[in-house]
Amino acid sequence: MPKVDITVEVCGMAGDGTIAAGGLVNEAMSLGGFSVLGFDSYPAEIRGFGRCVTRSRIGSNEIGALADETHILISLDDLQSRSRVPFLARDSAVLFDSKPDTLLEEEQSLAAVVEPGTALFGIPFTYLATAATGTSRGRNLAALGGFAALFGVQPEWFRRVITRKFQSKGEKVLEVNLKSFDAGFHYALEKFADRLRPSFAAANVVAGPEKVMLSGNQAIGQAALDAGLKLYFGYPITPATPIMEFLAKYLPAKGGRVVQMEDEIASVGAVLGAFYAGARAMTATSGPGFALMTELITHGVMAEIPAVILNAQRGGPSTGLPTKTEQSDLHAAVFGGPGDSSRIVIAPSNVAECYSFTVQSFQLAEKYQTPVIVLTDFYLDNRVENVVMPVASEKEKTDGNLYPDESLQGSYHRYLDTESGVSPRSLPGMEGFAYVATGLEHTERAQPDYTPEIHTKMTGKRHRKLQYALEDLPVPVEYSDGGQLDVGIIGWGSTFGSIQEAVNMARERGWKVAALKITSIFPYHEKEIRSFMTKCREILITELNYEGQLANLIGHLHRKEVVRLNQVTGVPFSPSAIFSKIEALLQAGVS
Amino acid sequence: MTARHVVIIGNGPAANEAAISLRTQAPDARITIISKEPIRYYKPHLLPDLIAGKVSEQDLYVNPLEFYKENDIRLRLGQEVVHVSFATNEVVMEHKEVVRFDGLIIATGGKPRIPEPLQVFEDLMLSLKTLSDAKVWKERLRWVDSVLIVGGDLTSLSFTKAVLSLGKKVYFILHGDSFWPVRFNEELSSEVSQRLSDRGVEVISCRKILRLVMASEDSVEVETDGRKLRVGAIGAFFGLVPDVKFLARSGLAIERGIVVDEFLRTRFEGVYAAGDCAQVYHPKLRDYWVSIGYRNARNLGRVAALNLLGGQESAETAPAGIFQLDDISVNTSWWTEF
Repeated sequence: MPKVDITVEVCGMAGDGTIAAGGLVNEAMSLGGFSVLGFDSYPAEIRGFGRCVTRSRIGSNEIGALADETHILISLDDLQSRSRVPFLARDSAVLFDSKPDTLLEEEQSLAAVVEPGTALFGIPFTYLATAATGTSRGRNLAALGGFAALFGVQPEWFRRVITRKFQSKGEKVLEVNLKSFDAGFHYALEKFADRLRPSFAAANVVAGPEKVMLSGNQAIGQAALDAGLKLYFGYPITPATPIMEFLAKYLPAKGGRVVQMEDEIASVGAVLGAFYAGARAMTATSGPGFALMTELITHGVMAEIPAVILNAQRGGPSTGLPTKTEQSDLHAAVFGGPGDSSRIVIAPSNVAECYSFTVQSFQLAEKYQTPVIVLTDFYLDNRVENVVMPVASEKEKTDGNLYPDESLQGSYHRYLDTESGVSPRSLPGMEGFAYVATGLEHTERAQPDYTPEIHTKMTGKRHRKLQYALEDLPVPVEYSDGGQLDVGIIGWGSTFGSIQEAVNMARERGWKVAALKITSIFPYHEKEIRSFMTKCREILITELNYEGQLANLIGHLHRKEVVRLNQVTGVPFSPSAIFSKIEALLQAGVS
Repeated sequence: MTARHVVIIGNGPAANEAAISLRTQAPDARITIISKEPIRYYKPHLLPDLIAGKVSEQDLYVNPLEFYKENDIRLRLGQEVVHVSFATNEVVMEHKEVVRFDGLIIATGGKPRIPEPLQVFEDLMLSLKTLSDAKVWKERLRWVDSVLIVGGDLTSLSFTKAVLSLGKKVYFILHGDSFWPVRFNEELSSEVSQRLSDRGVEVISCRKILRLVMASEDSVEVETDGRKLRVGAIGAFFGLVPDVKFLARSGLAIERGIVVDEFLRTRFEGVYAAGDCAQVYHPKLRDYWVSIGYRNARNLGRVAALNLLGGQESAETAPAGIFQLDDISVNTSWWTEF
C-alpha cells in the first residue's frame, strides 16, 4: 500500500475564503483517517488586503512537522500564489482559476511562472460556482471539488465537513457551498479524466477513532475550561489572543469570566489575586507582554502564590515579529525578573501536549505555590493537528492546594520551612489561618525580615520545592532504539516534531541517531538528560533562537561542548535542515 | 530586429530549434515557448518504436527541463493559446492571460486528419500523433490480436511495422484519401500495397467503409462495401492538418497551412510560421509546399528564428525532395522506405 505524505497549500487574497478552504481540507482529510498537520499564515494587518496561505501536510503515517515542499497548490488568486511557486516540489500540481472575471497580464499570472514540470489544472472556479449557485461566493468550494476529484479524495468526506461548517448559517449558505463543491468536482473529473492522480485513494487509509482538528491555542483554551478555570485576565497580543477569544466564547457558560485588563501587568496581578483567593485563573501573553509581567511573577515567587501564565513566543526582541515564530523567551521565562526567582517552566511540543500540560499547570501551580509558565510559540499555537479529543481525568483536575491542618489553628506558619519546601497554604477567610502575603523577604510566619539567616533559609526553601516538583513535572521523552548513538539531538517545544522527522530520515539510512524531548524546561530532569547524553558521541541542541538558550541551560551536563543548531528566520525548522546537520556531524566524525 | 520578447507557439522540433537558434543569435532576447501538450519536447517520429517496445519513453525526450533553464527559455507546458491579436501583438491564453510579444513564431504542427465521410466513426478510431496517443495504443495492443489500419499516410507505414513486430495481425485499407497530402494514385497505391502484402499485411481492397460498430470491449466490427471483419482496434492514418484553429479570425492567411513566403514570413511583421503548420512558397516551383517530418521541421524552425532576427535565409529545399502535385507540393525527402 503506497504511503501518502502530501502537502497541500491553499493560497489567496484575504477575503477569498482561503483559510476556510484550508480548514475544510484539514477536516475532510482527518475524517478520511489521514494524519493532518496544518498551519495558516495570514496578514497581521487589515482584513481585505494581503496574502493568506494555508499549508496542510497530510499523511498515512503520523506527522510531526510541516514539510519543506508543497505538492499541491490550490490557487484562489494568481498574483498572490506566484510567491508560492519556489516552494513547489518538482512534480507538483497546481489548481488555478482558468476563467477569472478579467484578463490577466503576464506579470499577474500564476501559469506564467510555474515550472514546466508542474502539472497545471485550470478549473474555472468562479464560473462554476456562479453557474451552479448564482453567486461566486462558493468559488473556494469549487476549487476544493476540483482537488477532491483530481487526487482521489472521497467527495463525501468534504460534503460532511461542509455541512458541519455551514449548516448553522442557514440552508441557502449550505446549498451554495455544497453545489459549488459538486460543480468543481464533476468538472475536474470529466475534464481531466486522463490526468487524474488518485494518490489519496491509493493509500487505502482506514479511518480510526474520530479525531478533531485542534490548534494549539484551542487545545490550551479547552484544557483551561476542563481544568476548572474560573477567571481569565488578559490583554490582546499575537499569537496569544485566540486563547482569550476562545475562553470569552465558552468560559461564561461554565460560570467563569474573561476580563480584558488594561495591560499585562494588571493581568498577571489579577491572576495572582484570584489564586490567592483560591480560584483557578490564568493569563496568556507573548514576549513584550511577558516582559511587563516579570516583576509581578517574581512577586508570586516570593509570596508563594500560584499563577498560570502562558507565554506564546513570537519573534523578538521588543515588538519584533508578531506573526513569526521563535523560541527566544526561554531565558526570560526561566530567569526573567529580579532576584533568585526560580519558577516552573514547561513547554508542550504538540497540540495534545498543549492540552495536557495546561491542565497540569493548574495543579502544579497550586501544589508548589509558585507561578507556572507554559511556553508555546506562534507555530505551535496556530498549527492544527487532528487528535482524539483529549479529556482530562478527575485526578488531573483535582485541587492541588495543600491546606493547613485544623490543629494548626492559631499557630499557623504560612511559610513553614518543610523538608520539601512546600508549606500548607490557607485561603482568605479561613479563620485562624490569616497571614500577610508579601513581596518582602519574610519569616515562616510571614513577617518581614531581611536578616542573612532568614534570606538564606527562605531562598533555599523556595528553590528546594522546585526540586521536589520534578517528580510531578513531565519527564523527558527519549526517541531512540537504545544502544550507543553517534548523534543525539535534544530539543523542546514545537521544534521537536521536525527533530523527530529528521531522526526518522537518518534512521532509514541506518544511522545511529536519536532524540530527547525536554518538556520541563525548569526545573529540568538532570539525571535523565545526563543518561541520554552519556549514550551519545555528539549532542546537537536545536532551537529557534540565536544563542541556543536551552543549550546554555543544560549544555554543561554533557562531557564535551554540545553542538548548536539555531535558526532565527521566523519560520519553523525544516526536518531536512536538521537532517543535513546530522549528516555533517556524522561525516565530521568519520573523517 | 532586436527581439525583445519572442513567443513561440508549439513545442515540437520546429519550435525548439527556433528557440535555441534565437538564444544563440540573440543572447538578450526573452524567449517563451507555449505548448498545450503538458509534456516536454519529444521525437514524434519515434512513437511507433515506443509502441513496438524498441525504445522507452525516456528515449523519446530531447531536452531535459534543465536545458530550458540553462538557456533562459521560458517553457510553458499544458497551456493553450486561444487567440492571437496581430494589431496589438498579444497572445491570449485559454486561462485568460495576455502575453505580449515583439516577435512570434507559430510552430504548432499538425493534428490528425479524418476525412469527412469517416468523421462519424471518429470515436471508434485511434490516431497516432502524440505521446498520449502512443500510450493508448500501447495499452490497447496488450489486449487485442489484430489491428485495422485505414488510410495510409507516412506514419501508418512505420506504425504497421511496429504492430507486426508485436505479432499482431494487421489489416490495411488503402483509402482514397491515403497518402495525404501526397496525391493518391494507382502507381503509388499498388506499390505500397505490394510492400505491405510482402510483410504479411492483409490489404483489403474497398472503396468505402459502411459501418463501424463496437462489438465488445476489445473488438470492433467493420463492414466495407466488399467485406465484414472483426478487429481489436482501428487506426486512422490520413496525415495531418495544421493545428491552427486558434488563428481563425486573426487575419492570417491559412490554406493547407499558414501561408508564408520563402523566408517563412506571414503577412504580419515579426510573425513567422515553421514546421508542419506552415505552407511555404517555393520560388523555383512558383508554388507552395508543406513540410512533413522531423528534420524538415527543425530546419524550418531554425530559418524562422534567423529571419525573425533580421536574416534573409530561404527555406527552399531541393526540388528532388518534393513531390509535385496538382495543387500542392510536399517535401518528403526524409521518407524512409517501408
